[in-house]
Amino acid sequence: MNLDINALFADMLSAIKGTVSNNRDKVETIAKQFLAQNKETLQLIAGLRISGELSDEEFKSRLQDEKLVLEAQFNALEVVSKAIAQQAANAALDVLEKAVIAVIS
Amino acid sequence: MKTYTRTFSILLFSISLLTITACKVTFVPAYDAQITQQIDQTAKAVDKFYLFMLETTASDTIGRSFTKFSEQYINVEVEMNSLLNKNKIRPLNENSTRICEINLQLWQKYKEEHKRKNTLSDGVIKLNRKTFNDLFYAMQVAEEGKNIRAPNP
Repeated sequence: MNLDINALFADMLSAIKGTVSNNRDKVETIAKQFLAQNKETLQLIAGLRISGELSDEEFKSRLQDEKLVLEAQFNALEVVSKAIAQQAANAALDVLEKAVIAVIS
Repeated sequence: MKTYTRTFSILLFSISLLTITACKVTFVPAYDAQITQQIDQTAKAVDKFYLFMLETTASDTIGRSFTKFSEQYINVEVEMNSLLNKNKIRPLNENSTRICEINLQLWQKYKEEHKRKNTLSDGVIKLNRKTFNDLFYAMQVAEEGKNIRAPNP
């Protein structure tokens, strides 16, 4: 039995596409949740500055803190993206593994 | 000669199989259910801490003085430190580690603010509570994200 390299690569690509498209909604949903959270927090910070509960210095400090929260959120999204990439790569390798085993056995 | 060829073929097949099956990529560490549970417990402790402060004390009395909450600040910081160390020790886990560092950094910052002012306004308590809710959520998303790694059947 010969290894059809073109068919194999097409199958591997299909496995990658399937994995990525299955998980695309997850990333989008999480990103939207993060944006909604940040909007609420920024509204809260602005409201506290207007009411005088935060001084100008505290207001600026809280905005800096919000940048850190944003950094944390990007880190979380990066984990999800890496996990999806890992799953896609392994799905492609599974296809390769099965094809090679079929040829050599 | 025939036996030799057969043995060689089996050996070659086994090596090929082992090489291929060992070929898996890893970009994130394995999901850890215990860490997820600890994140949830610490998040609840922080939420309860701020809700209790908001509902049972007032900013214009000594009820919100730092000493009344110092022990709870320590308890939460211990849990946050534990989470940071557990994440730091795992390979390929720099993203979750960074989230824990930010969480701890802001917790210590807000604790110092409370100590310096010896009180907190209702608005600041709500803001602190919201900030930590968001950070713990990011931490949960990062840990649960690692669960995606299992390939589809």
